[in-house]
Amino acid sequence: MKLVFKCSVASSLLATVAAVALASCSQAERVAKAPAASKVASVQVADYQGTVARVRRMTPEQYHNTVAYIFGSDIDVGSPFAPLRRTDGLLASGAASVGVTTGELQQLQRSASSIASQVIDKGSLDQHTPSRRDFLIPCKPVDETAPDDVCATKFVKEIGRLLYRRPLADARVAEFVAGAHKGAADLKNFYTGLAGVVEGMLLDPKVLMIADLTEQDPAHPGKLRLDAYSLASRLAFFLWDAAPDDQLIKDAEKGLLFTAKGRAQVVDRMLASPRIEQGTRAFFDDMFGFEDFGNLAKDASVYPMMTGATIKDAREQTLRTVVDHLLTRGDDYRALYTTRKTFMSPTLATVYQIPTKPGWVPYEFPADSPRIGLLTQISYLSLHAHPARSSPTYRGKALRERLLCQKVPLPPANVDFSILENPNPLLKTARQRLEAHRANPVCAGCHKITDPMGLALENFDGAGRFRASEKGADIDASGSLDGKEFHDVIGLGQAMHDHPQLTSCLVRRVYSYATGGPLTSTDDKAITALNAAFGQSGYRYKALLRMIATSDAFYEIVEPTTDSKTGEKKAAALSSDSAAVSK
Amino acid sequence: MKNLVQKTAFAAVVMGGFGLTAGTTAMADEAAPGLQNRTIGYVLTSANWGLYQTPDGKQECPDGFNEGPREQFKALYPNLGTVDGTQLERESASRYPLDKEDKFPYHDVKGKIGIGLNLDGKVGENDFTSTDGEKGIDNNLYRAIGCTRLFRAPDGTYANFTDLWVREMNFHRVLVELTNVDSLTNDPQVDVTIYRGKDKLMTDATGANIMPGGSNRVDYRFGKNFISHMKGKIENGVLTTEAADVHWPWAVFLGRPGAYDFKGARFKLALTGEKAQGLMGGYSDINTWYMQLVRSWSTHHSSYGGLSQPSFYRALHRLADGYPDADGKMTGISSVLNIKMVQIFIEHEGQKVAEAEKAQAPARH
Repeated sequence: MKLVFKCSVASSLLATVAAVALASCSQAERVAKAPAASKVASVQVADYQGTVARVRRMTPEQYHNTVAYIFGSDIDVGSPFAPLRRTDGLLASGAASVGVTTGELQQLQRSASSIASQVIDKGSLDQHTPSRRDFLIPCKPVDETAPDDVCATKFVKEIGRLLYRRPLADARVAEFVAGAHKGAADLKNFYTGLAGVVEGMLLDPKVLMIADLTEQDPAHPGKLRLDAYSLASRLAFFLWDAAPDDQLIKDAEKGLLFTAKGRAQVVDRMLASPRIEQGTRAFFDDMFGFEDFGNLAKDASVYPMMTGATIKDAREQTLRTVVDHLLTRGDDYRALYTTRKTFMSPTLATVYQIPTKPGWVPYEFPADSPRIGLLTQISYLSLHAHPARSSPTYRGKALRERLLCQKVPLPPANVDFSILENPNPLLKTARQRLEAHRANPVCAGCHKITDPMGLALENFDGAGRFRASEKGADIDASGSLDGKEFHDVIGLGQAMHDHPQLTSCLVRRVYSYATGGPLTSTDDKAITALNAAFGQSGYRYKALLRMIATSDAFYEIVEPTTDSKTGEKKAAALSSDSAAVSK
Repeated sequence: MKNLVQKTAFAAVVMGGFGLTAGTTAMADEAAPGLQNRTIGYVLTSANWGLYQTPDGKQECPDGFNEGPREQFKALYPNLGTVDGTQLERESASRYPLDKEDKFPYHDVKGKIGIGLNLDGKVGENDFTSTDGEKGIDNNLYRAIGCTRLFRAPDGTYANFTDLWVREMNFHRVLVELTNVDSLTNDPQVDVTIYRGKDKLMTDATGANIMPGGSNRVDYRFGKNFISHMKGKIENGVLTTEAADVHWPWAVFLGRPGAYDFKGARFKLALTGEKAQGLMGGYSDINTWYMQLVRSWSTHHSSYGGLSQPSFYRALHRLADGYPDADGKMTGISSVLNIKMVQIFIEHEGQKVAEAEKAQAPARH
């Protein structure tokens, strides 16, 4: 029997999108559908449950990437989405608990209309725009001023399959063709009729929302699994941060995703694709909280070298380092925090105070350099600092929350920042000022959590530039991290490398990202098993991606738990690994 | 005396603060990193011909400012006439200034204070005295252009544009590299090399300044004619060099390449790890100087700036004061550039290729 999400079916596209509330979608009724594929073999990590089914909104990047794949990267999408709320460490997880507001719908409609116009654009020599219709529409109408149902059908089937991430039912195709026919007849233009169809598709909840549609799992009677197309979508958004490509949909059609061998083949193809870089960048950009670069500004009188280009390059440098380290070299994830290899641009070189060449070039900091690992890159140091000074507290907090999946309590409402904001001039270094601030026991609790490792980064100012002293006083960069003491930032890098939660945090984040929402208690076994397997792989990121993507848990679906009081179905509480760090 | 001090202060302001006193900037408190491996590089970010200006110009130009093409045209052709008999005839005079007699008066600078260096090592009767009291300053170019509005800051288009082009046009990306440097404060012997770079400059977050700490590659191929070597010394943070002939790149409108030729050029620069600023003086080849002007400054600029090119040609030859030719005619005019530079890492990419090409050159002929 076919699985249907009630909320995803709508006669009025606009009204429905506005009304979609994903919490209710997750409770949609399901009906079984006969399996389209044969038995799924177990993979390396066994004995754990699947995940809950979700409906999530495409992230802005996923929408951009999808439109770029289908219609070309030169299509201007605009910025139709409202920002997501970071949930359990990831923006992507926030997409599983967000609706579409009326205002956002207006933006989406404008964007969809613009995209549709660009798709059917006949081009202009004067404006130097290409004739996209000639290569995006697979046929030419007999008469451009009249409907052509044959050509429209071909276009609708081809584009609809990619946008909806599954073949369209004949009845749905007929609806779209009828719409195109009417538009072409009314407006006396075949292409304008098609534009209306494209616009409507782009606004369809089934396109904007990634719904986990399920079916009975014949290999495990009584259990549910994702249907083939939902599994294809989950794979594609996980590994490529975009909708499935044509080949992946074909693989789903052929049932390849429901055999262990077939799924391994598919995953290996995806991991070998250049698009894995796009997916990896998206994940780490999210995990590192790099959306904050959009609001990052430094005081130009204090840090004149921090231009807009510097800030942009700082983000890019870290992402290039990650991609090179994890994908190109296939190195140990932990070594990202001790590596001296990176890439350099001219604007960044002015902050690092080193010579370089034009463009991006590979660069390795010398062995005696204080630059070691991601924590000493300008991205981390400048993002977690004040506009005109460093911040050991911000840096320590980010280290714990972003990289170790720990939680640092919020400061109390009545905290007195005066010692930091109007410091005693005799307190020359951040360490001295923070020591004075911690004299207040209300403040001391949290700062003991964040400052010991943040102070190890004090040899770098708020722009990430090296300094040996602050206001004439030598900087003491010693510190500690969860019982491990060190004298300088080199020691901090090694402490991070050796910290057990560094890798377990990555596993949690990747699994959460892969499965489209915050972790629940049903994921505990999977996380435990993946932690062990990740270690056995030598902490190779691609191996982790493969383990998750080929695992049974990735496609098996468990029912949400039921609230005993309200009867409402919901995900179980977060597992214990994310508990607040002890003071 | 008080008056002199006030005017001196004003002059420093109008010249954009081109003093030898190294200023400080609101930087983060990291140490300046410029000197590495006994080497430090600087890139030119500002250059202006050294003119000492008072607010109304009456001290240095008591006879007023020079008249330009409009005034001269009106005097020459009060009844107008044919195009070829008036406009074309006058325009050709810029290229062939000696074809016609020029009877117009030309106002030289008459003041006693001037910016520059003592290029000939003497204190002559006509030499200027610097704003800090140094006598024997040689700067006859100032005498020639100081009373022409085109060259006076801040409104003269020549003064304005040429400084802008230093930053904007890659062609005159002047790099100065100091090697064998033990200290930027005191070092009795350092080597100084001028190169032409080939990369853009980066402005800082204010958008107003060029950032120190950038990198720039030496142009060993098309810029090898601009490479010059000097010996120098650093005393109390000020670099002075021995004299050398320098071919100084300077592109003009629309990026057209050009250059000035200096004989006996030398630097006097205040150095820090982040910047260098001061003077580069020498005897400018007068023909090169004139052609650089004529080929790039159209009549409308000259008109607004009060520059008559034929009259200026004569002044340039009259005031030339160095490097006589075989007939005893002076070919160079003492001059000075106010320059500002910021620290930069100089990349010697392509040096080996250039050396290899040089080594193979005889075999090709």
